[in-house]
Amino acid sequence: MDRQRVIRVLNSLTGLILTVGIAFAIVIILILFLSKEPATAIYYFFVGPFTKAYYLGNMLNQSIGLMFTGLGIAVAFKSSTFNLGGEGQAYAGAVVTTVILLALPLMPGIVGGTAALVGAVAIGALLAGFSGFFKMRWGTDQLISSFLISAAVILIVNYLVTGPLDDPTNSMLTTARIAKQYQLLQIFKPSKLDISIVFAAAIAIGTYFFMQRTHWGYEMRMCGVNREFSKYAGINVGKYFLIPMAISGGFHGLAGGVAVMGTYYRCLKGVTAGLGWNGIAVALIAKNNPIAVIPAALFFAYLDAGAKAAMLHSDVTFELAKIAQAMIFFLVTAQALYGIFNFKKKVTT
Amino acid sequence: MAYLQMRGITKLYSASGVLANDTVDLSVEENEIHAVIGENGAGKSTLMKLLYGLEQPDAGEILIRGESVVIKDPLAANRLGIGMVHQHFKLVPDFTVAENVVLGSEPRKRGLFIDRKTAERDVAKVIEEHGFSIDAKRKIKDLTVGQMQQVEIVKMLYRNAELLILDEPTSVLTEQEIESLFATLRNLLNRGKTIILITHKLDEVKHMSHRVTVMRNGKVVAVRNTSDVDKKELSRLMVGKDILLEVNRIPKAFGDAVLEMRRVSIHCRGQQRPLLDEIDLQVRAGELVGIAGVGGNGLAEIEDVIGGLRSVTQGRMFLNGEDVTSMGAEQLRKAGLAYVPADRLHRGASLPSTVRENCIVTKHHDFLKAGVLQRGSIREFTKHLIDHFSISAGETMPVGNLSGGNIQKMILARELAAQSNFILFSEPTWGLDIASSQFIYEKMLELRAQGAGVLLISSNLDEILGLADTILVLYRGRIVGRMANTEGLSKQIIGEYMLGVRDDFHETVATSQSVVGHG
Repeated sequence: MDRQRVIRVLNSLTGLILTVGIAFAIVIILILFLSKEPATAIYYFFVGPFTKAYYLGNMLNQSIGLMFTGLGIAVAFKSSTFNLGGEGQAYAGAVVTTVILLALPLMPGIVGGTAALVGAVAIGALLAGFSGFFKMRWGTDQLISSFLISAAVILIVNYLVTGPLDDPTNSMLTTARIAKQYQLLQIFKPSKLDISIVFAAAIAIGTYFFMQRTHWGYEMRMCGVNREFSKYAGINVGKYFLIPMAISGGFHGLAGGVAVMGTYYRCLKGVTAGLGWNGIAVALIAKNNPIAVIPAALFFAYLDAGAKAAMLHSDVTFELAKIAQAMIFFLVTAQALYGIFNFKKKVTT
Repeated sequence: MAYLQMRGITKLYSASGVLANDTVDLSVEENEIHAVIGENGAGKSTLMKLLYGLEQPDAGEILIRGESVVIKDPLAANRLGIGMVHQHFKLVPDFTVAENVVLGSEPRKRGLFIDRKTAERDVAKVIEEHGFSIDAKRKIKDLTVGQMQQVEIVKMLYRNAELLILDEPTSVLTEQEIESLFATLRNLLNRGKTIILITHKLDEVKHMSHRVTVMRNGKVVAVRNTSDVDKKELSRLMVGKDILLEVNRIPKAFGDAVLEMRRVSIHCRGQQRPLLDEIDLQVRAGELVGIAGVGGNGLAEIEDVIGGLRSVTQGRMFLNGEDVTSMGAEQLRKAGLAYVPADRLHRGASLPSTVRENCIVTKHHDFLKAGVLQRGSIREFTKHLIDHFSISAGETMPVGNLSGGNIQKMILARELAAQSNFILFSEPTWGLDIASSQFIYEKMLELRAQGAGVLLISSNLDEILGLADTILVLYRGRIVGRMANTEGLSKQIIGEYMLGVRDDFHETVATSQSVVGHG
């Protein structure tokens, strides 16, 4: 890293820290006004996730799915393709994983588990790939097509989970439980944290390498910043409407699969709800940098855990917790977006 | 007293360092049609933007009927009775004529709601008074181009414009529509309006205007009564005297054709005139061919076709004997195309990306080892280009931070690194300073000396005359002149071809009548 780059990174970090600080201040003011025991509420909101190993582990566990979906969005955005279908892709990944694991005859966990995750990646890639293909062929708007496909997929999966795949032996809207050997190793009991957090972090680093150093990554990034230029230089720009979308969908599918195998062991109705949308926020905070997705996902999970802890231990209501959380996200993503647009403006004038 | 006076108007675009208007004086009498002519980049559009309040002058003053005014935005211009009809219409396709006309100054009902009835009635009144043939209730998307232009004019009349600026008004119209536009203008003149006509079509100037102001390089070079000048004189004034470039072009024999186009045409749906009309052209090894023309006459289309960014509807193209007609940029690059585009800021370079990323874009496949880009060799390659082309830039700087000259040098360095035997240059020195231009010229002649075929598309006649062995002139998408660059050839002669005064291939009378006016 040369000096210039260090300075650039520091500059963007100061902005982010400042924004987070302002956001926190607003949350504190909100709580001061609305809570009868503001000291406790504030304490649990900010420190709560670290007060018990159980909370900490669950917080880390929650960041896993966000890392995957955040990576998926980062790759798509970095290539100027837009995937708003993360919700459906992750949900489809979850149900496909479950179906594969329930259908497989008993075999070593690693084999069956891998097969299930491959299925999850494939379904996510396929669903997002449709949008990429439509864009390539007919110029269909990806924001719309990915969103609509996802909206339909969610309903289909809901039907499957509550209908044909529903496990009649329990009263929940869920499929049957997957076999013991397919459940990912828990590494921080009694919390739900499982081994896949290591994979998620490794994949984030791998994705960074892929984007920065490989020929595909390079072409994707060039298409991302300037398609006219890429086309002029002989890059097959059509292909790069499809490939980044497929990769993005694959990551979302993986998020769903890992949620089933690591946390829930079954596909509940709405098991991955929120993962897709929150992935967009994570990618925005990370400014589409795959490595920065790791801390961004942790930060998101921390906020969520804080809100939960404050709800459990003080008079803060669910709504207030959500509003506070939304406040922070609004400011942080606004700051991230501002940076992006500001740069574009500087360049074009 | 003149109706409008612009005195000592100066406008410097600090970002690009272009002095677009240099102490320009313009005086327009009441109730005249005043033509402002000049080549692309002569500064006429800038002058009109200043008059219409879209930009602010750095120096100079504007007087209306002798009174000094400040025009801070188009609304202020409207209040002063100045209206502008842009070359590209600014209309909402899904709105009706009346809705478009009143947009921005809608009649209100109870101060809140748009009074559609009144709007339609008022607009219909304006239309009727001035003898237009449009229905105020029709939607814009159902109108012809000529009718849309009428709507733009009505829009200005509705705002009580006394002075109408028309920017290249005939460029998109058919022959009949042009006639009806001219009738409209005469009618407006009879009603006491004053008109400024921006154009580079000499026929229109002669036909319609009372007086003409000629601009060149940001300055006014002549103001004449139209009846006192002929088209040759005007074209001479527009292009100026020959400037001899300090380049040393050694004559030599040419080899085989490296690029060949045979009867290449582009027909566009909904347009009567093809964008390119049976272009035949050949660039031989060691030959520098120059294509001259005024913007909008097919230069950009030829660039796009050769660059593989636009497909042709007819004809064939060959590169080194290989039929490349239907190839896209990707395959053309493989077939040996090198190309320095006119739009260097969007097509030729990616401004947010680093110099390194820009330098390797056409040949990043060469830097792969097991699918991974080798940073060491990329660094070496970029450094090599920077050193050999004396580009002042760091390898990891975003290209957007470089000066225009350095960006162009970087593009040139990258394209030459492919060592192709054919290279296309489109407007290679547009907006560059003299030193950078000179550098580019030398490189072009070096390529020619090494036996490459070079094609130069340029609206800068000095560089065409200084560099090219063979000169082609495009007018309305057709080659109207093809000549060897010999002693006797002057800028005036090429200028006359460019402006349609001369035409060597005017054999097809039938098609020329259906030709659409275009600038």
